[in-house]
Amino acid sequence: MNGTTIGVIAVAVVLIVDVVLLLGLVAMKTVNRRRAQSYKLRRAEYVATLSRCLASPGSNHPIDGRAADDDAFLDAVIDMRNIVTGHEIETLAGIVDGLGLARRQEARLRSRFPLGRRLRAAVSLAEIGDETTATVLIEHLSDREPEIRIQCARGLGRMQHTAAIDAILERLDLEEAWVRARFAQTLVRFGAKATWPLVAYIRVNLRHHDNEGVVEAIRVLGLIGDREVGPTLAGVLRVASDPEVAIATIEALGVVGGPLAIRPLKATFRSTDWRLRAKSATSLANIGDPSINPLLARGLEDANWWVRRNSAAGLASLPGGNEALVRAIGSDDPFARDAAAEALADCGALASAREREEAGLATAEDSLLLSHMSGQVLA
Amino acid sequence: MGEIKRVLVADDSDTVTTVLVTALELEGYEVETAGNGIEAYEKGLIGEYDLVILDQLMPGLLGLEVIDRWREEGRQISTIMLSGVDDDRTVVGSFESGAVDFIRKPFRIPELLARVRQRLQE
Amino acid sequence: MIAEILLWVGYATLAYFIVMQAYMIGLGLRSAVVMRRTHHLERFGRVSEMLSSQTSPPVSIVIPAFNEVAGIVDSVRSMSIVGYPRFEIVVVNDGSTDETLQALVEAFHLERVRVPYRPDIPTSEIRGIYRGHGAVDITVIDKANGGRADALNAGINASRYPYALCTDADVILDSNCLVGAMRRIVEDRQRTIAVGGNIRPLNGSRVQLGHLVEAGVPRKLVPRMQVLEYLRTFLASRPAWSQMEALPLISGAFGVWKRSAVIAVGGFTTGHMGEDMDLTMRLHRYHKDNGIPYRVVYEPSAVIWTEVPETLRVLRRQRIRWHRGLMTAVKDFMPMTFNPKYGKVGMITWAAMFLFEYLAPIVEIVGWITIPLAFLLGALNTTSLVILLALAFGTGLLNSLLALLLDESYGYFNTRADTARLIVIALIENFGLRQLTVAWRIRAIIGGRGTRVWGNMERKGVAHLGVETS
Repeated sequence: MNGTTIGVIAVAVVLIVDVVLLLGLVAMKTVNRRRAQSYKLRRAEYVATLSRCLASPGSNHPIDGRAADDDAFLDAVIDMRNIVTGHEIETLAGIVDGLGLARRQEARLRSRFPLGRRLRAAVSLAEIGDETTATVLIEHLSDREPEIRIQCARGLGRMQHTAAIDAILERLDLEEAWVRARFAQTLVRFGAKATWPLVAYIRVNLRHHDNEGVVEAIRVLGLIGDREVGPTLAGVLRVASDPEVAIATIEALGVVGGPLAIRPLKATFRSTDWRLRAKSATSLANIGDPSINPLLARGLEDANWWVRRNSAAGLASLPGGNEALVRAIGSDDPFARDAAAEALADCGALASAREREEAGLATAEDSLLLSHMSGQVLA
Repeated sequence: MGEIKRVLVADDSDTVTTVLVTALELEGYEVETAGNGIEAYEKGLIGEYDLVILDQLMPGLLGLEVIDRWREEGRQISTIMLSGVDDDRTVVGSFESGAVDFIRKPFRIPELLARVRQRLQE
Repeated sequence: MIAEILLWVGYATLAYFIVMQAYMIGLGLRSAVVMRRTHHLERFGRVSEMLSSQTSPPVSIVIPAFNEVAGIVDSVRSMSIVGYPRFEIVVVNDGSTDETLQALVEAFHLERVRVPYRPDIPTSEIRGIYRGHGAVDITVIDKANGGRADALNAGINASRYPYALCTDADVILDSNCLVGAMRRIVEDRQRTIAVGGNIRPLNGSRVQLGHLVEAGVPRKLVPRMQVLEYLRTFLASRPAWSQMEALPLISGAFGVWKRSAVIAVGGFTTGHMGEDMDLTMRLHRYHKDNGIPYRVVYEPSAVIWTEVPETLRVLRRQRIRWHRGLMTAVKDFMPMTFNPKYGKVGMITWAAMFLFEYLAPIVEIVGWITIPLAFLLGALNTTSLVILLALAFGTGLLNSLLALLLDESYGYFNTRADTARLIVIALIENFGLRQLTVAWRIRAIIGGRGTRVWGNMERKGVAHLGVETS
């Protein structure tokens, strides 16, 4: 076999592959074109029929049984579920139920291949939110495919199937970072029902080396917003050695802490780590007790920009805080002046001051603020 | 009652438009649609609508901008803002611009119809 | 004797060529696997999940603008409805000599504000900052002219949020692009410092009110060739690079950057003709040198559309500029090339950039000279010559077809006309058009006065592309 023969064979192979790919391309495009057109029409029709069903619930608008296998119908249902709420959701659920959609999707989820259809089934079940599918979803929380696991958790969260909370929490440790974050998000949907399981989880895992699950859990508590966990989180803050845990706890306390959280937050406001100080400023402001105004006013002079900024923004949102800000405009510290000025501008105090000046009703503070602002404004 | 009320529905989502048109037509209103901000603005100027249901996030012009422009042209059209966007800027802005109502997405159809009825009576 | 040497040189270029094509096909196949997975994940409505999530990190969209009065307002307006829960728009007026700033101030009711501006990255003088309380959350930075990189740096300085999407004023964002990109960040918040997007030529598509109505393949050959080029890069290369976590380049038209990381390396390099490649590579170097875990990834679903040159004249300037940028980068990052300390970036992707992008035009020119010469001098017989040419054509076509097949997951270009146009360009681009790009790059290497070119395409303004262009 000499070089020429090899060359000829190589050329032949390449050209044959080319022809195959070319024909494949043309075929795919033709098929896709037809599919896309047909899909659009079917979907529009489904949307129209479903709209009629929702608008006049009593009357009968039959939907073809084949819709149960039709992706266009599924998309139409999901789309409508995201637009309407209330009784309409039940009507949609009834229609979906009548077509046996949930059972079909369950069967697809249980099959072993192909990935695309299984994933599609998981997403559909998550969106449809039919309680009878909860068992299958819990089963597949340990599916081999991470995206399917996530969609199952999501579905359980949407239907607030409490029995699944522990199963989901169990997985927090076992998952990779990105999956864990998504799992944690699904817990938010459960709302207050997830609160105490989360607290239990945090207590158990807090002293482990790997705290990432705990951080997510704390974040979720903050998002859920159940005030009863305030004392627990305050306790966590006292013993937390990992700064990431501390930061998450500080953030969550800003939401659920209430007045009891002020003490621990005052302590972290004096931390040597600027992130803790900055977050504490925001959280203290979120709690909303004006007794911390003097503390935040001192934060305006902090060495770190974020701390100053958060302190200023916090003061702007608290009753009586504006006075502290306006006083800070006369301070010696240029950074404090700037932080205060920005906060005042952002919250509209600047605009009101201008209006008052134009009406001839400017107060002393207004003049101070305006002269500061116009101090270095270029033409 | 009176003559048939004319409503303009402006939203870039086909699904939302279909749902609204179906529900409103069943109530006996005459409904027209617009698929983007500019179309909404133009139709609002020349058409005689008793009520407009306006989405915020539309291509061309945002819902709030449409209302502002109508006002600049001296047109006062009864408008209900319908939006999935929930931030202060949009909600407060809607009322400041002169919208008579603000409905969040997702919405309840009976509630929307009740509000439409209410606004049309005013 | 000479003929023998020529022949061996010719064979050497052939060997180079085979390795290059094998690399590209390998990348293409790997990208196919990656894209198949993400395609499933994309199609099934995960968008609403991310949109309603309260944990989506806020993003600052940074837009450098120089003399963009024709389309800046429409462009900003269309970007303001991109689908994402929390973001702000920061436009940097880079010392425009037209009414760019005034147009923005009027359209969005902006007011001059005095807010503290921290120059984390040094830039040219900031003349003013404008904010509005209207429907759109937009900040405009007015500064002295300093070039695109400088403007981006100023925008990054001024942005309030931890992530910055750096883009251009004449780009059309697909409504899911930000969600797609940020999903990659949320997956791995600690490590992900940058996400690149998928850029598609806008030419030939129908645009209305700053939004894409229907994608189309341009009739003119120059933009059409670029459609294929972009597909080969963005569909058949980058997904593979990203999966290896060795992405050497994030395109300037769409990059989501972690603000703190960009500031840590000093921002974009001003005066560089390839500032996006430069920043990406510097981020790699910085994090590897300091042992900081990180990753730079690419998201195929983060699609944006931009106008590409319609004429050879403008295309030539662009390609010369790109290659000059590449040359500077190759010089700057020579120590990383084939250096195992820099992992897959140093050993595979940057090495490949050096070998197959930087050296390619030289090798190709040598091949184009030596092989015909060898043929004429009788050292190469006709059969062999035909085989060589057929191989060159065949493998080039293979890469193009692979890219086109990968594109099928998006569902664009399905009409008969579009399909035909794509097949035609795949067949004929190797007969002249590609050779032109090689010639231009050689010109760039030679250097000199004619190569100090800066992009300045006639800007029609995105919203005015109401009719099909070519």
